[in-house]
Amino acid sequence: MAEEHLDDVYRYLLYVTGNPHLAEDLAAATFERALRRWRRFDPRRASARTWLCQLARSTALDHFRAEQRRRRREDTYASDVPETDEPVFGEGLSPALDAAVRSLSRGEREVVVLRVVLELDGETVARVLGIRPTAVSTRLSRALQKLEERMVSDVRD
Amino acid sequence: MSETRFESVTRELRATAPSAPEMLRVLVRTLPSPQPRLALRLRPAVSVAIGIAIAVGLGAALIGGFSGAPHQNVANFSPSAGTAGGAATKEVRTPGLLLGSSSSKQAFDDRARALAPVLAPGLRLQRYDVSMSLRVRDLSRSTQAAVRRTRRLGGYVATANYSTGNNTGDSSLDLRVPVQHVQQAIAGFTDLGTILDQHISVGDLQAPLDRTDSRIAALRRVIAELQVKNVRTPAEQMQLDGAKGTLQRLMQSRMNLVREGTYAKISLELTTRKAASKHVTPGRFSRFWSDAGDILGKEAIIVLYALVVAGPFAILAALALLAERARRRHADHRLLEETG
Repeated sequence: MAEEHLDDVYRYLLYVTGNPHLAEDLAAATFERALRRWRRFDPRRASARTWLCQLARSTALDHFRAEQRRRRREDTYASDVPETDEPVFGEGLSPALDAAVRSLSRGEREVVVLRVVLELDGETVARVLGIRPTAVSTRLSRALQKLEERMVSDVRD
Repeated sequence: MSETRFESVTRELRATAPSAPEMLRVLVRTLPSPQPRLALRLRPAVSVAIGIAIAVGLGAALIGGFSGAPHQNVANFSPSAGTAGGAATKEVRTPGLLLGSSSSKQAFDDRARALAPVLAPGLRLQRYDVSMSLRVRDLSRSTQAAVRRTRRLGGYVATANYSTGNNTGDSSLDLRVPVQHVQQAIAGFTDLGTILDQHISVGDLQAPLDRTDSRIAALRRVIAELQVKNVRTPAEQMQLDGAKGTLQRLMQSRMNLVREGTYAKISLELTTRKAASKHVTPGRFSRFWSDAGDILGKEAIIVLYALVVAGPFAILAALALLAERARRRHADHRLLEETG
Protein backbone atom coordinates (compact mmCIF):
# COMPACT_ATOMS: atom_id res chain seq x y z
CA MET A 1 0.00 0.00 0.00
CA ALA A 2 2.88 2.35 0.85
CA GLU A 3 4.44 2.08 -2.60
CA GLU A 4 1.06 2.40 -4.27
CA HIS A 5 0.48 5.83 -2.76
CA LEU A 6 4.10 6.94 -2.43
CA ASP A 7 4.04 9.12 -5.56
CA ASP A 8 0.83 10.83 -4.49
CA VAL A 9 2.19 11.62 -1.04
CA TYR A 10 5.50 12.83 -2.48
CA ARG A 11 3.75 15.06 -5.07
CA TYR A 12 1.49 16.54 -2.45
CA LEU A 13 4.42 17.34 -0.17
CA LEU A 14 6.49 18.69 -3.05
CA TYR A 15 3.75 21.14 -3.97
CA VAL A 16 3.13 22.16 -0.37
CA THR A 17 6.79 22.66 0.51
CA GLY A 18 8.15 23.62 -2.92
CA ASN A 19 11.36 21.79 -1.98
CA PRO A 20 12.14 18.28 -3.37
CA HIS A 21 14.55 17.38 -0.58
CA LEU A 22 12.20 18.53 2.14
CA ALA A 23 9.31 16.73 0.41
CA GLU A 24 11.39 13.54 0.39
CA ASP A 25 12.14 13.85 4.11
CA LEU A 26 8.56 14.63 4.98
CA ALA A 27 7.28 11.76 2.82
CA ALA A 28 9.51 9.35 4.73
CA ALA A 29 8.28 10.84 8.01
CA THR A 30 4.69 10.50 6.80
CA PHE A 31 5.06 6.79 6.11
CA GLU A 32 6.76 6.21 9.43
CA ARG A 33 3.88 7.99 11.11
CA ALA A 34 1.40 5.95 9.06
CA LEU A 35 3.09 2.78 10.25
CA ARG A 36 2.73 3.87 13.88
CA ARG A 37 -0.90 4.92 13.44
CA TRP A 38 -1.97 2.08 11.20
CA ARG A 39 -4.24 0.70 13.90
CA ARG A 40 -6.29 3.90 13.86
CA PHE A 41 -6.93 3.73 10.11
CA ASP A 42 -10.61 3.04 9.37
CA PRO A 43 -11.21 2.22 5.68
CA ARG A 44 -14.93 2.92 6.14
CA ARG A 45 -14.27 6.56 6.95
CA ALA A 46 -11.71 7.34 4.24
CA SER A 47 -9.56 5.62 1.63
CA ALA A 48 -5.92 4.88 2.35
CA ARG A 49 -4.93 7.59 -0.12
CA THR A 50 -7.03 10.23 1.68
CA TRP A 51 -5.73 9.09 5.06
CA LEU A 52 -2.12 9.29 3.87
CA CYS A 53 -2.73 12.77 2.44
CA GLN A 54 -4.14 13.85 5.82
CA LEU A 55 -1.07 12.43 7.56
CA ALA A 56 1.21 14.12 5.04
CA ARG A 57 -0.54 17.42 5.66
CA SER A 58 -0.20 17.18 9.45
CA THR A 59 3.47 16.17 9.04
CA ALA A 60 4.08 19.21 6.82
CA LEU A 61 2.24 21.51 9.21
CA ASP A 62 4.31 20.20 12.12
CA HIS A 63 7.43 20.98 10.10
CA PHE A 64 6.22 24.48 9.22
CA ARG A 65 5.39 25.22 12.85
CA ALA A 66 8.84 24.04 13.94
CA GLU A 67 10.38 26.21 11.22
CA GLN A 68 8.32 29.17 12.36
CA ARG A 69 9.53 28.75 15.92
CA ARG A 70 13.11 28.41 14.69
CA ARG A 71 12.78 31.57 12.58
CA ARG A 72 11.51 33.49 15.58
CA ARG A 73 14.59 32.44 17.52
CA GLU A 74 17.07 33.18 14.71
CA ASP A 75 17.46 36.42 12.83
CA THR A 76 18.47 34.86 9.52
CA TYR A 77 17.19 31.64 8.05
CA ALA A 78 17.48 29.70 4.84
CA SER A 79 14.41 29.65 2.62
CA ASP A 80 12.69 26.32 2.10
CA VAL A 81 12.47 26.97 -1.63
CA PRO A 82 15.81 26.41 -3.34
CA GLU A 83 17.01 29.18 -5.64
CA THR A 84 17.39 27.23 -8.88
CA ASP A 85 16.48 27.60 -12.52
CA GLU A 86 15.50 23.96 -12.82
CA PRO A 87 11.77 23.22 -12.58
CA VAL A 88 10.78 22.19 -9.09
CA PHE A 89 7.30 20.82 -9.67
CA GLY A 90 8.13 18.30 -12.37
CA GLU A 91 10.62 17.39 -15.09
CA GLY A 92 9.59 19.00 -18.37
CA LEU A 93 7.31 21.58 -16.79
CA SER A 94 7.49 24.86 -18.69
CA PRO A 95 9.51 27.48 -16.80
CA ALA A 96 6.57 29.91 -16.94
CA LEU A 97 4.15 27.46 -15.35
CA ASP A 98 6.76 26.35 -12.83
CA ALA A 99 7.44 29.95 -11.83
CA ALA A 100 3.69 30.65 -11.64
CA VAL A 101 3.11 27.64 -9.37
CA ARG A 102 6.09 28.69 -7.27
CA SER A 103 4.53 32.14 -6.81
CA LEU A 104 1.43 30.65 -5.23
CA SER A 105 1.12 30.33 -1.47
CA ARG A 106 1.47 26.90 0.13
CA GLY A 107 -2.27 26.80 0.72
CA GLU A 108 -3.01 27.56 -2.93
CA ARG A 109 -0.48 25.00 -4.18
CA GLU A 110 -2.03 22.49 -1.79
CA VAL A 111 -5.49 22.77 -3.29
CA VAL A 112 -4.05 22.71 -6.84
CA VAL A 113 -2.09 19.52 -6.24
CA LEU A 114 -4.99 17.77 -4.58
CA ARG A 115 -7.67 18.75 -7.10
CA VAL A 116 -5.63 18.99 -10.34
CA VAL A 117 -2.55 16.79 -10.02
CA LEU A 118 -3.87 14.02 -7.75
CA GLU A 119 -7.39 14.39 -9.20
CA LEU A 120 -9.20 14.02 -5.87
CA ASP A 121 -12.85 15.02 -5.83
CA GLY A 122 -14.06 18.07 -3.92
CA GLU A 123 -15.47 16.08 -1.01
CA THR A 124 -12.21 14.22 -0.45
CA VAL A 125 -10.14 17.39 -0.67
CA ALA A 126 -12.49 19.04 1.81
CA ARG A 127 -11.96 16.09 4.16
CA VAL A 128 -8.17 16.33 3.83
CA LEU A 129 -8.14 20.08 4.42
CA GLY A 130 -10.82 20.03 7.12
CA ILE A 131 -12.99 22.61 5.34
CA ARG A 132 -16.29 22.61 3.41
CA PRO A 133 -16.39 21.56 -0.28
CA THR A 134 -17.56 25.05 -1.29
CA ALA A 135 -14.47 26.52 0.35
CA VAL A 136 -12.36 24.08 -1.68
CA SER A 137 -13.95 25.33 -4.93
CA THR A 138 -13.34 28.95 -3.91
CA ARG A 139 -9.73 28.32 -3.03
CA LEU A 140 -9.09 26.41 -6.27
CA SER A 141 -10.73 29.13 -8.34
CA ARG A 142 -8.59 31.84 -6.71
CA ALA A 143 -5.42 29.76 -7.11
CA LEU A 144 -6.06 29.13 -10.81
CA GLN A 145 -6.86 32.79 -11.39
CA LYS A 146 -3.63 33.78 -9.70
CA LEU A 147 -1.76 31.19 -11.73
CA GLU A 148 -3.13 32.58 -14.98
CA GLU A 149 -2.37 36.17 -14.00
CA ARG A 150 1.18 35.23 -13.19
CA MET A 151 1.65 33.34 -16.48
CA VAL A 152 0.19 36.23 -18.51
CA SER A 153 2.46 38.73 -16.82
CA ASP A 154 5.48 36.46 -17.48
CA VAL A 155 4.57 36.30 -21.17
CA ARG A 156 4.33 40.12 -21.31
CA ASP A 157 7.72 40.46 -19.60
CA MET B 1 -9.03 30.92 -16.47
CA SER B 2 -10.46 29.89 -19.80
CA GLU B 3 -11.50 26.29 -20.39
CA THR B 4 -8.76 25.70 -22.98
CA ARG B 5 -6.14 27.28 -20.81
CA PHE B 6 -7.28 25.30 -17.81
CA GLU B 7 -7.13 22.01 -19.73
CA SER B 8 -3.69 22.86 -21.07
CA VAL B 9 -2.35 23.69 -17.60
CA THR B 10 -3.99 20.64 -16.10
CA ARG B 11 -2.57 18.33 -18.79
CA GLU B 12 0.91 19.78 -18.35
CA LEU B 13 0.86 19.58 -14.57
CA ARG B 14 -0.36 15.98 -14.62
CA ALA B 15 2.04 14.89 -17.38
CA THR B 16 5.06 16.34 -15.65
CA ALA B 17 4.06 15.37 -12.12
CA PRO B 18 7.21 14.11 -10.47
CA SER B 19 7.61 10.59 -9.15
CA ALA B 20 9.08 9.82 -5.76
CA PRO B 21 12.87 9.50 -5.80
CA GLU B 22 14.30 5.99 -5.84
CA MET B 23 15.95 6.55 -2.45
CA LEU B 24 12.60 7.32 -0.89
CA ARG B 25 11.09 4.27 -2.57
CA VAL B 26 13.83 2.06 -1.14
CA LEU B 27 13.34 3.62 2.30
CA VAL B 28 9.60 2.99 2.25
CA ARG B 29 10.18 -0.61 1.11
CA THR B 30 12.37 -1.20 4.16
CA LEU B 31 9.63 -0.12 6.55
CA PRO B 32 8.21 -3.08 8.49
CA SER B 33 4.75 -4.37 7.67
CA PRO B 34 2.04 -2.72 9.71
CA GLN B 35 0.43 -4.68 12.53
CA PRO B 36 -3.19 -5.68 12.06
CA ARG B 37 -5.65 -3.02 12.99
CA LEU B 38 -7.45 -3.11 16.30
CA ALA B 39 -10.60 -5.14 16.00
CA LEU B 40 -12.40 -2.98 18.54
CA ARG B 41 -12.64 0.61 17.40
CA LEU B 42 -13.96 3.52 19.39
CA ARG B 43 -17.37 3.95 17.76
CA PRO B 44 -18.40 0.26 17.96
CA ALA B 45 -16.96 0.14 21.48
CA VAL B 46 -19.12 3.09 22.52
CA SER B 47 -22.16 1.43 20.92
CA VAL B 48 -21.42 -1.81 22.78
CA ALA B 49 -20.94 0.09 26.06
CA ILE B 50 -24.29 1.87 25.62
CA GLY B 51 -25.94 -1.46 24.77
CA ILE B 52 -24.46 -3.10 27.87
CA ALA B 53 -25.58 -0.16 30.05
CA ILE B 54 -29.13 -0.42 28.71
CA ALA B 55 -29.11 -4.21 29.17
CA VAL B 56 -27.86 -3.85 32.76
CA GLY B 57 -30.54 -1.24 33.49
CA LEU B 58 -33.32 -3.38 32.05
CA GLY B 59 -31.92 -6.48 33.74
CA ALA B 60 -31.86 -4.74 37.11
CA ALA B 61 -35.45 -3.63 36.59
CA LEU B 62 -36.57 -7.14 35.64
CA ILE B 63 -34.69 -8.77 38.52
CA GLY B 64 -36.13 -6.14 40.87
CA GLY B 65 -39.57 -6.90 39.47
CA PHE B 66 -39.15 -10.65 40.03
CA SER B 67 -37.72 -10.32 43.51
CA GLY B 68 -40.07 -7.52 44.61
CA ALA B 69 -43.38 -9.03 43.47
CA PRO B 70 -43.76 -11.89 46.00
CA HIS B 71 -42.99 -9.65 48.99
CA GLN B 72 -46.17 -7.64 48.56
CA ASN B 73 -48.48 -10.11 50.15
CA VAL B 74 -52.00 -9.05 51.07
CA ALA B 75 -51.96 -8.42 54.79
CA ASN B 76 -54.92 -6.23 55.48
CA PHE B 77 -56.03 -7.55 58.77
CA SER B 78 -53.21 -8.45 61.08
CA PRO B 79 -52.76 -7.17 64.61
CA SER B 80 -49.77 -4.86 64.86
CA ALA B 81 -49.06 -5.15 68.58
CA GLY B 82 -49.00 -7.71 71.34
CA THR B 83 -51.86 -8.83 73.56
CA ALA B 84 -53.59 -6.61 76.08
CA GLY B 85 -52.14 -8.52 79.00
CA GLY B 86 -48.56 -7.81 78.02
CA ALA B 87 -48.75 -4.47 76.27
CA ALA B 88 -50.78 -1.42 77.17
CA THR B 89 -52.46 -1.07 73.80
CA LYS B 90 -53.59 -3.39 71.08
CA GLU B 91 -54.56 -2.09 67.66
CA VAL B 92 -56.31 -3.66 64.71
CA ARG B 93 -56.68 -1.75 61.48
CA THR B 94 -58.21 -2.44 58.09
CA PRO B 95 -56.57 -0.11 55.58
CA GLY B 96 -58.52 1.60 52.77
CA LEU B 97 -60.64 -1.24 51.54
CA LEU B 98 -63.50 -1.06 49.10
CA LEU B 99 -65.47 -4.21 48.98
CA GLY B 100 -66.98 -4.53 45.57
CA SER B 101 -67.59 -8.19 45.11
CA SER B 102 -69.48 -10.54 47.35
CA SER B 103 -66.42 -12.73 47.76
CA SER B 104 -64.45 -9.73 49.06
CA LYS B 105 -67.24 -8.92 51.50
CA GLN B 106 -67.27 -12.50 52.67
CA ALA B 107 -63.53 -12.35 53.21
CA PHE B 108 -63.92 -9.16 55.19
CA ASP B 109 -66.61 -10.65 57.37
CA ASP B 110 -64.34 -13.59 58.06
CA ARG B 111 -61.65 -11.21 59.20
CA ALA B 112 -64.14 -9.27 61.29
CA ARG B 113 -65.06 -12.49 63.07
CA ALA B 114 -61.39 -13.01 63.83
CA LEU B 115 -61.55 -9.79 65.84
CA ALA B 116 -63.91 -11.24 68.39
CA PRO B 117 -61.28 -12.38 70.93
CA VAL B 118 -59.67 -8.97 70.77
CA LEU B 119 -62.90 -7.15 71.55
CA ALA B 120 -64.31 -9.54 74.13
CA PRO B 121 -64.25 -7.59 77.41
CA GLY B 122 -62.62 -9.46 80.24
CA LEU B 123 -62.34 -8.81 83.97
CA ARG B 124 -59.77 -6.09 83.52
CA LEU B 125 -60.77 -2.51 82.98
CA GLN B 126 -59.96 -1.58 79.38
CA ARG B 127 -60.35 1.43 77.11
CA TYR B 128 -61.85 0.82 73.66
CA ASP B 129 -61.39 3.28 70.79
CA VAL B 130 -63.07 2.34 67.54
CA SER B 131 -63.21 4.39 64.37
CA MET B 132 -65.15 3.21 61.36
CA SER B 133 -65.72 4.70 57.95
CA LEU B 134 -68.60 3.39 55.85
CA ARG B 135 -70.11 4.14 52.50
CA VAL B 136 -73.93 4.02 52.73
CA ARG B 137 -76.78 4.37 50.24
CA ASP B 138 -79.17 6.43 52.41
CA LEU B 139 -77.31 8.75 54.74
CA SER B 140 -80.30 9.86 56.82
CA ARG B 141 -81.65 6.39 57.39
CA SER B 142 -78.20 4.96 58.18
CA THR B 143 -77.43 7.77 60.63
CA GLN B 144 -80.73 7.24 62.42
CA ALA B 145 -80.14 3.48 62.49
CA ALA B 146 -76.70 4.00 64.03
CA VAL B 147 -78.13 6.29 66.73
CA ARG B 148 -80.99 3.86 67.46
CA ARG B 149 -78.63 0.93 67.74
CA THR B 150 -76.35 2.89 70.09
CA ARG B 151 -79.24 3.76 72.40
CA ARG B 152 -80.60 0.22 72.29
CA LEU B 153 -77.22 -1.03 73.51
CA GLY B 154 -77.28 1.38 76.42
CA GLY B 155 -75.04 3.99 74.86
CA TYR B 156 -75.43 7.61 73.85
CA VAL B 157 -74.40 10.09 71.16
CA ALA B 158 -71.61 12.45 72.30
CA THR B 159 -71.50 14.56 69.13
CA ALA B 160 -73.12 14.33 65.72
CA ASN B 161 -72.43 16.15 62.47
CA TYR B 162 -74.66 15.73 59.48
CA SER B 163 -74.25 17.47 56.13
CA THR B 164 -75.71 16.83 52.70
CA GLY B 165 -75.08 18.36 49.27
CA ASN B 166 -76.79 17.89 45.91
CA ASN B 167 -75.76 14.34 45.39
CA THR B 168 -73.53 13.42 48.30
CA GLY B 169 -73.60 13.67 52.04
CA ASP B 170 -71.49 12.93 55.11
CA SER B 171 -72.27 12.38 58.73
CA SER B 172 -69.91 12.06 61.62
CA LEU B 173 -71.04 10.45 64.89
CA ASP B 174 -69.08 10.31 68.11
CA LEU B 175 -70.73 7.53 70.09
CA ARG B 176 -70.31 5.99 73.53
CA VAL B 177 -71.32 2.33 73.88
CA PRO B 178 -70.93 0.14 77.00
CA VAL B 179 -67.82 -1.97 76.54
CA GLN B 180 -69.71 -5.22 76.98
CA HIS B 181 -71.73 -4.33 73.86
CA VAL B 182 -68.95 -2.96 71.69
CA GLN B 183 -68.74 -6.10 69.58
CA GLN B 184 -72.47 -6.01 68.89
CA ALA B 185 -72.25 -2.33 68.04
CA ILE B 186 -69.49 -2.89 65.49
CA ALA B 187 -71.35 -5.80 63.94
CA GLY B 188 -74.48 -3.64 63.70
CA PHE B 189 -72.66 -0.70 62.13
CA THR B 190 -71.00 -3.02 59.60
CA ASP B 191 -74.44 -3.88 58.27
CA LEU B 192 -75.15 -0.21 57.48
CA GLY B 193 -72.99 -0.16 54.34
CA THR B 194 -69.61 -0.89 52.88
CA ILE B 195 -66.64 -0.55 55.20
CA LEU B 196 -64.04 1.83 53.82
CA ASP B 197 -61.76 1.94 56.83
CA GLN B 198 -61.80 0.55 60.35
CA HIS B 199 -59.49 1.10 63.30
CA ILE B 200 -59.83 -0.50 66.71
CA SER B 201 -57.61 0.29 69.66
CA VAL B 202 -57.77 -1.47 73.05
CA GLY B 203 -55.81 -0.02 75.97
CA ASP B 204 -55.38 -1.43 79.46
CA LEU B 205 -56.70 0.75 82.33
CA GLN B 206 -56.49 -1.83 85.11
CA ALA B 207 -52.90 -1.06 86.11
CA PRO B 208 -53.47 2.71 86.60
CA LEU B 209 -56.74 1.89 88.41
CA ASP B 210 -54.95 -0.46 90.79
CA ARG B 211 -52.28 2.12 91.49
CA THR B 212 -54.93 4.75 92.18
CA ASP B 213 -56.83 2.38 94.50
CA SER B 214 -53.73 1.59 96.55
CA ARG B 215 -52.93 5.30 96.90
CA ILE B 216 -56.51 6.00 97.99
CA ALA B 217 -56.33 3.22 100.57
CA ALA B 218 -53.05 4.58 101.91
CA LEU B 219 -54.45 8.12 102.14
CA ARG B 220 -57.57 6.88 103.91
CA ARG B 221 -55.42 5.17 106.52
CA VAL B 222 -53.43 8.37 107.07
CA ILE B 223 -56.62 10.44 107.36
CA ALA B 224 -58.17 7.97 109.79
CA GLU B 225 -55.07 8.03 111.99
CA LEU B 226 -55.06 11.81 112.04
CA GLN B 227 -58.78 12.11 112.68
CA VAL B 228 -58.55 9.80 115.71
CA LYS B 229 -56.46 12.40 117.53
CA ASN B 230 -58.57 14.94 119.40
CA VAL B 231 -55.83 17.53 119.49
CA ARG B 232 -53.64 17.98 116.39
CA THR B 233 -50.56 20.09 115.96
CA PRO B 234 -50.62 22.66 113.16
CA ALA B 235 -48.36 20.42 111.07
CA GLU B 236 -50.69 17.45 111.55
CA GLN B 237 -53.66 19.61 110.65
CA MET B 238 -51.88 20.70 107.46
CA GLN B 239 -51.07 17.06 106.67
CA LEU B 240 -54.73 16.11 107.19
CA ASP B 241 -55.98 18.88 104.94
CA GLY B 242 -53.45 17.96 102.22
CA ALA B 243 -54.39 14.28 102.43
CA LYS B 244 -58.06 15.07 102.09
CA GLY B 245 -57.41 17.25 99.01
CA THR B 246 -55.26 14.56 97.40
CA LEU B 247 -57.87 11.94 98.21
CA GLN B 248 -60.51 14.02 96.49
CA ARG B 249 -58.37 14.36 93.34
CA LEU B 250 -57.60 10.66 93.30
CA MET B 251 -61.28 9.78 93.67
CA GLN B 252 -62.05 12.02 90.70
CA SER B 253 -59.27 10.42 88.72
CA ARG B 254 -60.55 6.96 89.59
CA MET B 255 -64.04 7.93 88.51
CA ASN B 256 -62.69 9.13 85.19
CA LEU B 257 -60.80 5.88 84.66
CA VAL B 258 -63.85 3.80 85.46
CA ARG B 259 -65.98 5.91 83.13
CA GLU B 260 -63.36 5.54 80.42
CA GLY B 261 -63.42 1.79 80.86
CA THR B 262 -67.19 1.59 80.99
CA TYR B 263 -67.96 3.14 77.63
CA ALA B 264 -66.18 2.47 74.34
CA LYS B 265 -65.56 5.47 72.10
CA ILE B 266 -66.81 4.85 68.61
CA SER B 267 -66.20 7.39 65.84
CA LEU B 268 -68.48 6.57 62.98
CA GLU B 269 -68.05 8.29 59.60
CA LEU B 270 -70.83 7.71 57.10
CA THR B 271 -70.65 8.93 53.52
CA THR B 272 -72.53 8.50 50.29
CA ARG B 273 -69.54 9.50 48.14
CA LYS B 274 -68.47 7.07 45.47
CA ALA B 275 -64.90 5.87 45.53
CA ALA B 276 -62.66 7.58 42.97
CA SER B 277 -61.39 4.25 41.77
CA LYS B 278 -61.82 0.70 42.76
CA HIS B 279 -58.91 -0.54 44.80
CA VAL B 280 -58.00 -3.88 43.41
CA THR B 281 -55.20 -5.94 44.83
CA PRO B 282 -52.73 -6.20 41.97
CA GLY B 283 -51.82 -9.61 40.66
CA ARG B 284 -48.33 -11.03 40.54
CA PHE B 285 -47.87 -10.06 36.88
CA SER B 286 -48.95 -6.45 37.37
CA ARG B 287 -46.85 -6.18 40.53
CA PHE B 288 -43.87 -7.40 38.51
CA TRP B 289 -44.39 -4.71 35.87
CA SER B 290 -45.03 -2.11 38.55
CA ASP B 291 -41.77 -2.95 40.36
CA ALA B 292 -39.83 -3.07 37.11
CA GLY B 293 -41.32 0.29 36.13
CA ASP B 294 -40.36 1.77 39.49
CA ILE B 295 -36.76 0.63 39.12
CA LEU B 296 -36.61 1.90 35.53
CA GLY B 297 -38.01 5.21 36.71
CA LYS B 298 -35.35 5.45 39.40
CA GLU B 299 -32.65 4.61 36.87
CA ALA B 300 -34.01 7.28 34.54
CA ILE B 301 -33.91 9.79 37.41
CA ILE B 302 -30.29 8.88 38.14
CA VAL B 303 -29.35 9.23 34.46
CA LEU B 304 -31.25 12.52 34.24
CA TYR B 305 -29.53 13.75 37.39
CA ALA B 306 -26.13 12.80 36.00
CA LEU B 307 -26.96 14.59 32.74
CA VAL B 308 -28.11 17.69 34.57
CA VAL B 309 -24.95 17.74 36.68
CA ALA B 310 -22.48 16.76 33.97
CA GLY B 311 -24.29 18.39 31.04
CA PRO B 312 -23.02 21.95 31.51
CA PHE B 313 -19.45 20.71 31.95
CA ALA B 314 -19.75 18.53 28.84
CA ILE B 315 -21.11 21.49 26.84
CA LEU B 316 -18.28 23.71 28.08
CA ALA B 317 -15.72 21.04 27.21
CA ALA B 318 -17.25 20.61 23.74
CA LEU B 319 -17.22 24.38 23.18
CA ALA B 320 -13.61 24.58 24.31
CA LEU B 321 -12.71 21.72 21.98
CA LEU B 322 -14.49 23.38 19.04
CA ALA B 323 -12.80 26.71 19.79
CA GLU B 324 -9.39 25.04 19.95
CA ARG B 325 -10.01 23.26 16.65
CA ALA B 326 -11.11 26.49 14.99
CA ARG B 327 -8.06 28.31 16.34
CA ARG B 328 -5.75 25.55 15.13
CA ARG B 329 -7.38 25.49 11.69
CA HIS B 330 -7.00 29.24 11.41
CA ALA B 331 -3.36 29.03 12.47
CA ASP B 332 -2.74 26.27 9.92
CA HIS B 333 -4.37 28.33 7.20
CA ARG B 334 -2.19 31.34 8.00
CA LEU B 335 0.88 29.11 8.01
CA LEU B 336 0.02 27.72 4.58
CA GLU B 337 -0.82 31.13 3.15
CA GLU B 338 2.82 32.09 3.41
CA THR B 339 4.61 31.87 0.08
CA GLY B 340 7.40 29.40 0.40
